[in-house]
Amino acid sequence: MIRRRPLRILLVLGMLLLVAWAWQNRVHLQAFPGIIAAYSAKEYCSCRYVSQQPADYCLGYVEQYVPLSELFDDAAHKRVTARGLGSRQSAQWLGARQGCQLLPLAEPLP
Amino acid sequence: MSFFHGCARWALACSFAFPGSMAWAQSWPDAQWPSEPAPRSAALSALESYAFPARDDTTRSGVRSDALLVIRDGVLVYERYAAPTTAATPHLTWSMAKSLLASTLGVAYGRGLFRLDAPVADYYPPFAAHPQVKVGHLLNWASGLAWQEDYEYAPLKSSVVAMLYTRGRGDMAAFTAAHVADAEPGARFRYSSGDSNVLAAALRGMVGAEAYADYPWSALFEPLGIQSAVWERDAAGTFVGSSYLYMNARDLARVGLLMQRDGRWREQQLLPKAWVEFNRTPFANYRPEASKPDDAVPGGHWWLNAAVAGARKPWPDAPGETFAALGHWGQGLYILPREKLVIVRYADDRDASFQHNQLLKLVQAAFAREVQP
Repeated sequence: MIRRRPLRILLVLGMLLLVAWAWQNRVHLQAFPGIIAAYSAKEYCSCRYVSQQPADYCLGYVEQYVPLSELFDDAAHKRVTARGLGSRQSAQWLGARQGCQLLPLAEPLP
Repeated sequence: MSFFHGCARWALACSFAFPGSMAWAQSWPDAQWPSEPAPRSAALSALESYAFPARDDTTRSGVRSDALLVIRDGVLVYERYAAPTTAATPHLTWSMAKSLLASTLGVAYGRGLFRLDAPVADYYPPFAAHPQVKVGHLLNWASGLAWQEDYEYAPLKSSVVAMLYTRGRGDMAAFTAAHVADAEPGARFRYSSGDSNVLAAALRGMVGAEAYADYPWSALFEPLGIQSAVWERDAAGTFVGSSYLYMNARDLARVGLLMQRDGRWREQQLLPKAWVEFNRTPFANYRPEASKPDDAVPGGHWWLNAAVAGARKPWPDAPGETFAALGHWGQGLYILPREKLVIVRYADDRDASFQHNQLLKLVQAAFAREVQP
């Protein structure tokens, strides 16, 4: 069996190892897709409403090697929503001393 | 008779006026910094060409200073900004926040609100899971918790990324407390933003829930005349002591002057001298990594240019007493006590080109006077 199908056995072994690794790291893997959207929403919100930098500067400032699919700045409410890697996250400006904070639930995108 | 009379008057004048007149002779900022811009010189040009090279926002490579400010003995002698950052911009301090958290704690320490050798759990009950960890251990980043401090290059398992953006963001101190220990408290240094946020949560237990929300302002910022500070919190209301403090460069320099003058602000000893001494004492069990000779030495939540354990000073061209608050992407507040220099640098360095040593060398060449023995 092993002698007849060495490639298939290797492939199955590799898959098993990958599944085992993914199971071991499931907590990290589950959270991972949220990082880029949360980072972008929070840091853009602070760049714009705490540091009061121009919008185009803040867009460049939050750019990372993982691309964002969307970033929406609801200027009337000082609320920023970003989407990337299938995850949507929002940050809200709360006040002059508090600055911005990520919201537990993301706002819908328009 | 008149001699004795004069002498008595002189003695009286001396005993009352002399301590005051020392403070009088010193420069301090009011609403604005006293300013004496240094004349152009070759040394200043060399500093500027290092700190402010032509900026490429496409590649984001090289040294990218947003602000550079030099205070000499309480007087602003140099300041420059790179657009869109200005003198009014409350810039992100990133991990410099940790050292400013330590200065905030220093005021509470002076009021007798906590002890360095008390268990963290006395002030932050969820830390009962780690009963041996003392406040001083956290200030040395020596909690012994199995923490992973990596930013963008290892995001999957980075504790700090998870804390700030995903699993920990609701309650960063609780997220940290849930980590297991993999060393004895106080046994080894491991840089941890989690340790800093547990300190930020412990501050609530020290000063009381009511005073907490305004404490950094009432204890530190307002006495120093800092008006631009913003300190973001997690969803549990705890200051993100590790990362999210903002203020303009001139305001950050006020903290530098406070530290340069051993915790004194005008006539008031705002931070006990012993506290500043603790900030500036290398963590006893710190062992420099041979592969990272430029890494500053951890003190009590401040960074030191100390030669320890047979290694050279991290910044060879700066005095051994130099200490600093340092943050991600090139943020720095450097204090050279003997030269009476305070340097603020805000930056957006996205690669490793910037060298603390080079900046300090060039600033000294441009601004240090001969030190009086």
